[in-house]
Amino acid sequence: MNQGGILIEGLRKTYGQGDTAVEALKDVNMTVGPGEVVGLVGPSGSGKSTLLKCLGAIIEPTAGRMVLGGNVIYDGGWKIPDLRTLRRDSIGFVFQAPYLIPFLDVTDNVALLPMLAGVSNAVARARALELLAALDVAHRAQAEPSQLSGGEQQRVSIARALANRPPVILADEPTAPLDSERALGVMRILNQMAQQSQTAIIVVTHDEKIIPTFKRIYHIREGRTIEEAGEGRSLEGMA
Amino acid sequence: MISLAGRDILHAWQKFVFTGLGLGLLIGVTLSMAGVYRGMVDDAQALLSNSGADLWVVQKDTQGPYAESSSIKDDLVRSVLGMPGVARAANVTYFTMQVQQGKDEVRAMVVGIEPGQPGGPGYLVAGRHLTRSHYEAVADVKTGFLLGDRIRIRRHDYEVVGLTQRMVSSGGDPMVFISLKDAQEAQFLKDNDAILNDRVRTAANPAFNRPGTPGLLDALQATQTSSHNVNAILVQVQDGLLPQQVAEPIRRWKHLQVFTREGMEDILVAKLIATSAKQIGMFLVILAIVSAAIVAFIIYTMTLGKIREIAVLKLIGTRNSTIAGMILQQALGLGVIGFVVGKLAATLWAPVFPKFVLLQQGDALTGFGVTMLICALASTLAIRAALRVDPAEAIGG
Amino acid sequence: MNISTPMKRRLSLAALAIFLLAALAFVMLRSGPLAPTRVTVSKVQEGTFSPALFGIGTVEARRNWMIGPTVAGRVLSVRVDVGDSVKAGQLLAEMDPVDLEQRLASLDASITRAVSAQAAAAAQQLDAAARRELAAVNFRRNQDLADKNFISAGALEARVQEKVSADAAQQAAQASVLGAGQDLTRLKADRAALLQQRLNVRLLAPADAVVSSRDAEAGSTVVAGQSVLRLIDPGSLWIKLRIDQGRSAGLLPGLKASIVLRSQSQTSLAGSVARVELLSDSVTEEKIAQVAFEQMPSAVSVGEMAEVTLQLPATSKAVLVPGASIQRQGGATGVWRIASGKPVFTPLRLGASSLEGQVQVLEGLKAGDEVVVYSQKALTSESRLQVVDALVKPAGAGVAP
Repeated sequence: MNQGGILIEGLRKTYGQGDTAVEALKDVNMTVGPGEVVGLVGPSGSGKSTLLKCLGAIIEPTAGRMVLGGNVIYDGGWKIPDLRTLRRDSIGFVFQAPYLIPFLDVTDNVALLPMLAGVSNAVARARALELLAALDVAHRAQAEPSQLSGGEQQRVSIARALANRPPVILADEPTAPLDSERALGVMRILNQMAQQSQTAIIVVTHDEKIIPTFKRIYHIREGRTIEEAGEGRSLEGMA
Repeated sequence: MISLAGRDILHAWQKFVFTGLGLGLLIGVTLSMAGVYRGMVDDAQALLSNSGADLWVVQKDTQGPYAESSSIKDDLVRSVLGMPGVARAANVTYFTMQVQQGKDEVRAMVVGIEPGQPGGPGYLVAGRHLTRSHYEAVADVKTGFLLGDRIRIRRHDYEVVGLTQRMVSSGGDPMVFISLKDAQEAQFLKDNDAILNDRVRTAANPAFNRPGTPGLLDALQATQTSSHNVNAILVQVQDGLLPQQVAEPIRRWKHLQVFTREGMEDILVAKLIATSAKQIGMFLVILAIVSAAIVAFIIYTMTLGKIREIAVLKLIGTRNSTIAGMILQQALGLGVIGFVVGKLAATLWAPVFPKFVLLQQGDALTGFGVTMLICALASTLAIRAALRVDPAEAIGG
Repeated sequence: MNISTPMKRRLSLAALAIFLLAALAFVMLRSGPLAPTRVTVSKVQEGTFSPALFGIGTVEARRNWMIGPTVAGRVLSVRVDVGDSVKAGQLLAEMDPVDLEQRLASLDASITRAVSAQAAAAAQQLDAAARRELAAVNFRRNQDLADKNFISAGALEARVQEKVSADAAQQAAQASVLGAGQDLTRLKADRAALLQQRLNVRLLAPADAVVSSRDAEAGSTVVAGQSVLRLIDPGSLWIKLRIDQGRSAGLLPGLKASIVLRSQSQTSLAGSVARVELLSDSVTEEKIAQVAFEQMPSAVSVGEMAEVTLQLPATSKAVLVPGASIQRQGGATGVWRIASGKPVFTPLRLGASSLEGQVQVLEGLKAGDEVVVYSQKALTSESRLQVVDALVKPAGAGVAP
């Protein structure tokens, strides 16, 4: 299900009712094609998190339309019966912190989602090792998350997000704690993975170090999005 | 699919094992308490089985000889022997008293028996049965006596010639068997000071101290120091007859009460042990509640420590049932470790208890089931907390 | 082989778990209801033993006397005390004769008076004899005269009547004399009786003996039959032995006895059965026998307890079995025999038994059979057995679990 990318039309989200109602999202429109890595930039309180939560099928929008990977998931109401399975199979999450499961080793952290999806343990682990190799952390496959460096953990979390081959990846400030070299390295990996598996990736960030690398950026302010072209600085040669 | 619960346990194994040990000791105590109760019931059963009797003939309107004191004349046994259906009948006396050996004192039930007749020990673990008519004793190993020891019961010294095992009173006191005549003397004959006192009192009574009848005072004082009472007659019925059939004619005699094995069990187990049974039952309930609370607390704490991981798992698409299953499995795993440790501990320390502790397999299985149930219930607190976590918390802001 | 740390940890935890479970299984199988019953066995052999009878008794004096008055009275004096040896005929005590002396004196006086009465009667007899003579002479003379008709018939009748009267008076006087003699005899007999009574107030020793108890002091009043002193013959002490009727087979006079006195419990004295009483005690169901000492021990007292063992002749050769192995099942007496590793109840016919716990088997076992002697719990034919050397360690360690 790697075709289609992301399509958001007229998304609205209101918290509360009556006098205390807060319109976090007023009118959000985004498109991300398969294989594209798009930035989502905005000040705090602009609704970035709310948008991510709506996209990630964590909270229910008030109105609008969302299409992920060619499937309509929201159109005035949820069109998918099981949101948890949607998240498991169709959306990959990358967080600010790696949030690896401490009691699983690296391979199993990555293989967990495919296993939950019903893939056999052997196949899931094989796929995990492939991803880890692609991300250059295969030598840590048997280690526990606590034994890895921050950068290695981040790469493992990216592998985890990719393990179930979702059409969409939502990354929330993935480079915030990293220095510029590592941050660019993460962006390079994301771009690589996006190209390889045709995954649509939205990166929420306000990290000045990586903003220049996006080809397209959505600004969100007071609940509305504005598209603009980014610098698209090359990431070749980065570690 | 890997076992999340298993991985978590392996990762934090020390915490798990130590908690399991603590829980295990608690479960061991619970199993031991149940074992104490079973031991008390078994003590009563052993007492009844080892006496070898089908019927117990005691004083009318009493529930003796174990639960209440009963006193009957020792020549009644001849009449009982003549009743239809009676194969063997013998006098027995039971008296709980302190028995001395050297400087130590042991609380024992002294049983007066006629060797070879019902009432005596059926099997020995060392030595021999009583052969002499006086001053020999067969003791249970729980007294701590060894073959050849000289023990003091009341006024005389006895030599331990045989040892038995599991011959105990319903209260758990070990038994010491001596000849019936010695036991009658021990039970009913007082110490020298009391005897002298009685003699003086009788002599001071002018009705007994008449000059015209010279032998009266001596004869009277002789009867005061002799005893022809026993506590019960044990009866074995002839093969093929029901004890009830044989008991009814004896009961109709109107001066005696007769109990069958069921009647004695009812008295000993239902009445004598009833209070202790209630106490132990209460203890078991309290221990179960405490165990549940401990398991709930431990699992809840462990879950809270994983709250962020749980949020992440929920966010990336783990179902509620998987997460709940992980917590439940951990609780059950804790229960299994606790139970194994507890059963082992209970079995190892059971012989050290002063009372007989009987650990039955059925009780162990029930205990295992109850442990699993308690762990499952205790995990619900943590599961509720885990399910209430908002996956959105993983996404800051 | 390089095992990674998590793998090592898994292996060691698995090993620990297996060890715990194995320990649990081991413990559950070894103790508790699943474990086999531990027993000791013994091969029975033929043999003989000397059975013995055992009983306890009290030391009594075979010959003892109770010295006391035959009539109620007051004790005047007691001359001996407990422990004194007395000779036959020795004066031991005296009762107060009260009025015996006075009655003797009175009797003496009566006797004197009777003697006087006798003399008076004799004199009267002489007087009557003289009168009779006279009357007879008169009668003969008057008879002659009457024959010659010198006097009237009336006068002769008067003389006849005089003669008859004088005869009668003489007989009366003779009877009087006899009566006075009988009176004297009676009074002498009375006196002799009083003298006997006076002897009775002197209590004499009937034989050589030792005083064992002094029951009344001078001045006490005792009734007839009450004891003032008790004597025993110290050389006649023997033991009144009581043996349970059920275990007294073979009790005969002459059996050798081994006596242990309560006061000398370390020494064993020799003796033999002197007599087996005809009357047993039906209340305590004991036979009574008298056991004499071969040599009288020095410091023994009457009433002392003794334990006596009587040796019976050795039994004939038969299979012997320890008494501890004998059980009862369903009304029959027998033992548990081991047949191909399983217990089989074998009913037996038993003979004599020894005081050390061995029993003769008359029927049911042959030499070489293995029987269960000691067991941890009651056996049934389905019990699984584990044969060990001993169930109880000899000293200090207690019962093996």
